[in-house]
Amino acid sequence: MQEATFHELADLALKQTGQAIPVSKAYLVEARLAHILRREGFATPDDLVACLNARPNPVFEAEIVAALQTRTTWFFRDRERLNQLVSDVLPERVRHSKAGRVRIWCAGVSTGQEAYSLAMLLKEADIPALKGARIDITATDICRKALDQARGGLYGHFEIQTGLSVHRLLANFERLETGHWQVSEELRERIGFRQHNLVDPQARLGQFDIILCRNVLSNMDASRRGAVCEGLADQLQPGGIVLLGEKETLSAERNCALEPSRLMGGAFSAVDKTRRTQAA
Amino acid sequence: MKRCLIVDDSRVVRKVASRIIRDMQFEVTEAGDGMEALESCRNAMPDAILLDWNMPVMNGLDFLRALRREDEGKTPKVVFCSTENDAEHIGEAVRSGADEFIMKPFDSGILHSKFAEIGLA
Repeated sequence: MQEATFHELADLALKQTGQAIPVSKAYLVEARLAHILRREGFATPDDLVACLNARPNPVFEAEIVAALQTRTTWFFRDRERLNQLVSDVLPERVRHSKAGRVRIWCAGVSTGQEAYSLAMLLKEADIPALKGARIDITATDICRKALDQARGGLYGHFEIQTGLSVHRLLANFERLETGHWQVSEELRERIGFRQHNLVDPQARLGQFDIILCRNVLSNMDASRRGAVCEGLADQLQPGGIVLLGEKETLSAERNCALEPSRLMGGAFSAVDKTRRTQAA
Repeated sequence: MKRCLIVDDSRVVRKVASRIIRDMQFEVTEAGDGMEALESCRNAMPDAILLDWNMPVMNGLDFLRALRREDEGKTPKVVFCSTENDAEHIGEAVRSGADEFIMKPFDSGILHSKFAEIGLA
């Protein structure tokens, strides 16, 4: 792949999703586009980009951008914090909620393992405060293909064996004739999957008690992170929290709309709007 | 150092699994069938057993049932590892005393994940 091609593709990803792809990851670009190149009969990414330039096609561009996204995820990733969320934070939110309704948003959910992990924990939870509570889970991603897989709750041989215990496998999944494993209908019905772009300022989903936006910001260009944090802060209920990935931090962000929360280690809450305006 | 017994009639599977499990800081011993594995356990009980299902002499399920009858409270964690990977077989392995189940083929990621599930990685 020529350097100019890499830069065109990286610019496209940056513009549409805020994703930063360093030159050192050029090999990933080729690997992630391989199936599109094969399907469309292009020998190299250079041919693909030449075609896009000659015949602009927003739908095809969106597919390419989605394919370039980092999609690494697995069941019960960072399970201690998920456990803490369900056992400590959620009961508190339920107690303070109107009519026992709590809304959770899994942003950048990729193929859905995080949302289903949460749904499994809620199903298993024997916590009095959660009995009878209405806990809605909304899960979003920019990639339609990943969402189709998530919505169907379909996982392959390696995905189903990463992070998931055999007991949870037997309790929540069914093996299909194709060899895939499918999440139970009960869990699939608990989650509302939607296509959503975090960097689109118009794309607001309402107010949430808990937002999981894990291992998304660290793949974004620094210039976009502030606006995304602002968007997350604006969509938090008063007292709500945002959970980032285990190793993600916002310490380098200036005038960030999110600040460390006292509710839970590693969680963030929204900076008061007045303080945000003053800081700006 | 923790000890893991790999029980599989395929020398290739034993070799691949050995390499991965040694990298996980286990001392590894091997057995080619259930009877050989039972003898090995009677000599020295391992901390973990990676166990194939279909083997000559004594299969994995018969070995597991025999082990659970006679391990006298020394309960090694048993991870079944088989191509018999429908829910019915997996359920039977769990009911017979398996702590985890790996569907073949496997890689180091799956082995790490499953050993983590049983608190050994």
